[in-house]
Amino acid sequence: MLKKMIRAGSRLNTLYCSDARHYQISFLSIFLLAGLFRLHWPLSYAQIFITLSATLSTQYIALRLLRLPMDGLKSALITSLSLCLLFRSDHLAVVALAGILSIASKYLLRQGGKHFFNPANFGICACILLTGKAWISPGQWGSEGLWLMVVGVLGMLVVTRAKRSDLALSFLLGFGGCMFIRMYCWQEWPADALLHVFSNGALLLFTFFMITDPVSTPQHPIARKLWALAAGCLAFYLQAYQWVNGAPLWALFMLSFITPIVDYFISAGNYRWTTRTNTLTENTKNIQIA
Amino acid sequence: MKKNTLLLLCLLLCGVKAYSFCGFYAARSDVKLFNKTSQVILVRNGERTTVTMSSDFQGNVRDFAMVIPVPTILQEQDIRVTERRIFDQLDAYSAPRLAEYFDEPLCQGRMRAYPESTAKRSASVMESDNALSEEKADYKVAVLARYTVGEYDIEILNAQESSGLERWLNDHGYKIPDGAEEVLEPYIRSNMKFFVVKVNLEHFKAGSTEFLRPLQIRFSSPKFMLPIRLGMANGEGSQDMIVYSFTKNGRIETTNYRSLRMPTDRQVPVFTKENFGAFYTALYKKNLQKEGADNVFLEYAWDISGQSAVKCDPCPSQPPLFQEILSAGVDWLQSNSWGQYSGSLFFTRLHVTYNRIDFPQDLVFQETPDRSNFQCRYVIRHPAPYTENCSEWNDYQSKKIAERKQELRELQALTGWDVAQHRDYPYYFNGYRVKTPRDERTGSVTQKSEAPEKTAAIQVAPAIRDSDTSTLVAVQQQAFIPSEKSESAPEPFPYSTIAMLTVTGLFLYHRFRS
Repeated sequence: MLKKMIRAGSRLNTLYCSDARHYQISFLSIFLLAGLFRLHWPLSYAQIFITLSATLSTQYIALRLLRLPMDGLKSALITSLSLCLLFRSDHLAVVALAGILSIASKYLLRQGGKHFFNPANFGICACILLTGKAWISPGQWGSEGLWLMVVGVLGMLVVTRAKRSDLALSFLLGFGGCMFIRMYCWQEWPADALLHVFSNGALLLFTFFMITDPVSTPQHPIARKLWALAAGCLAFYLQAYQWVNGAPLWALFMLSFITPIVDYFISAGNYRWTTRTNTLTENTKNIQIA
Repeated sequence: MKKNTLLLLCLLLCGVKAYSFCGFYAARSDVKLFNKTSQVILVRNGERTTVTMSSDFQGNVRDFAMVIPVPTILQEQDIRVTERRIFDQLDAYSAPRLAEYFDEPLCQGRMRAYPESTAKRSASVMESDNALSEEKADYKVAVLARYTVGEYDIEILNAQESSGLERWLNDHGYKIPDGAEEVLEPYIRSNMKFFVVKVNLEHFKAGSTEFLRPLQIRFSSPKFMLPIRLGMANGEGSQDMIVYSFTKNGRIETTNYRSLRMPTDRQVPVFTKENFGAFYTALYKKNLQKEGADNVFLEYAWDISGQSAVKCDPCPSQPPLFQEILSAGVDWLQSNSWGQYSGSLFFTRLHVTYNRIDFPQDLVFQETPDRSNFQCRYVIRHPAPYTENCSEWNDYQSKKIAERKQELRELQALTGWDVAQHRDYPYYFNGYRVKTPRDERTGSVTQKSEAPEKTAAIQVAPAIRDSDTSTLVAVQQQAFIPSEKSESAPEPFPYSTIAMLTVTGLFLYHRFRS
């Protein structure tokens, strides 16, 4: 009996570890629960339900039409959780639109056999631009040092499994470096004001869970690092000089337009999520999980 | 363009030990001042911001002075003096309120609710006077403009280094708190212009107003923020600030601090009415302790567009009138007949208690498209009068006792007050006394089916007495006592430590496993 249970547990563990998306789903769910019950976000259950159903059903229809494996629903779940965490609107129709646009962008905006927008990022930015009835609340996380630790460590766990820690670190280098030079070295703000900027939950969530999307970012290792560095610098410019709220999201949205160009010139094959189908991928480096 | 990217920073100078809003106070001479709560009205339309600042300055006006850093050289028409009454009116309109309801008499009648409203009007006055000169010394401070607006003398300064500005201010009779230099430096590095405000005694006497009137400035900048850091240069304790805002699209919120809604729509014991001010102060402090001191609290948000039929519900006072909205700096509404207006308008009230530790950055705001209404509303429900030979009475009575016990638990949870002294409250009904468990033990009341004993008006001792007993009670915002951080808070459950250990464990497990 015990042996059976251990065997089942180990099989489950292998299954869980076989795909970095499982980690993402677990951690994003934890953040959502924390937001709802600890940080008391004014987020209605109806909004969560609509987001989940809009993204999952759009993804399901797309997968059926294209006769693809249902494995893709996991990505849609990540997208919907990201939307719940970052996207705010009073209108349920806008919430549904964000979910549908997110997933639709994956299948309509493609180049070189892959989509080049992060689905959640596209959904959020497109909805804000199109409807004007949605917003991002970067302040909703507070700035407790706890978030710095939890999101940072959890995020690192995910990105090291997905082999995309270089994206997160390059982005942080670009954004943090510029911010450090401007705020600390030039304007002489005290250190705690600078730390307050970096311990923002929304920034950390973005760094470790959104920009590190291995599919929609450039595939070549060096191009990828430079691209993330540019995203960091652009986010810094938008935040410090243009006073854009949720600057990292807008920076990613803008830079996504050049991702297909980068990939066109410096190709390195496409990313696969799971370890099991490694024979299908060209870039074996990316799928090997340590 | 560069000028546009800089935002107004306001820095108030007056009394050494005083509290202030977005600036620090420094007295021109050592006068002890006390300024409990400051109030700011923000009006945002695109990139155009109007800031009206009011502080309840107490002391000799001769000693009053303030410095307001601005992104551009403000023109005379961008500076105005308004009436204090706008603040009083907005405070009364948006303050947390207590709504009173009466249970319907059984076997007849219906429920009544009594909102009370009073109309108040205010007007704005603008005076100006002009002078311009330039002053350069080794302070590296240049005086770019001089104006006299209302009772204030205003000088616009351009500083190149904080030590020079500090010396200039000190040499011109302002007492700057220690540590001001390092607080000033980031703003000077951002190429701010500062303007110094003093009271023009001749104009003040001629105007014969008792208090200093609020000062209003207008500027265009993409920045939408309030520089609270300067106000903490003297770094003593926490300071309260109420931010009122008028926007076109929707509620405002802070983007670098959490904006939280206050607990609302809670039913509390009837005696809360007698000390509602103390009740809300205790509730606010408890909430601050519970949610963390580094938060901004939403107290009121309402769509008061011209076409909006319900501008408040219930109304503790008349909604802001067109004239008041106009003098606060809203310039996109159209006036109709009867003092009405048309156009989109949203009102937000935020309450922040800031200190140096919890608020290392200035408050940065964003205007969201959220137009949902919110108010801090607490409810008291008076019991129905006793009806003889009414078959429903017994059911009602037991339901009411349970409801009132719940009210006491709610009061304790909200304020942290000890409700033990009110243990008889559930059994006292609006002039009637219901059998209590103690009565049952002592046998003073014989049978349950009997009509409840009539007594004179029951006096229930409130924990703290307050003189405010109007039907709809609005808290005067002056009632807020700056909360002390050092207050003995109960040791919180170490969620964070446990979470951190779990995460680290998971991380290490996966590293070593592979």
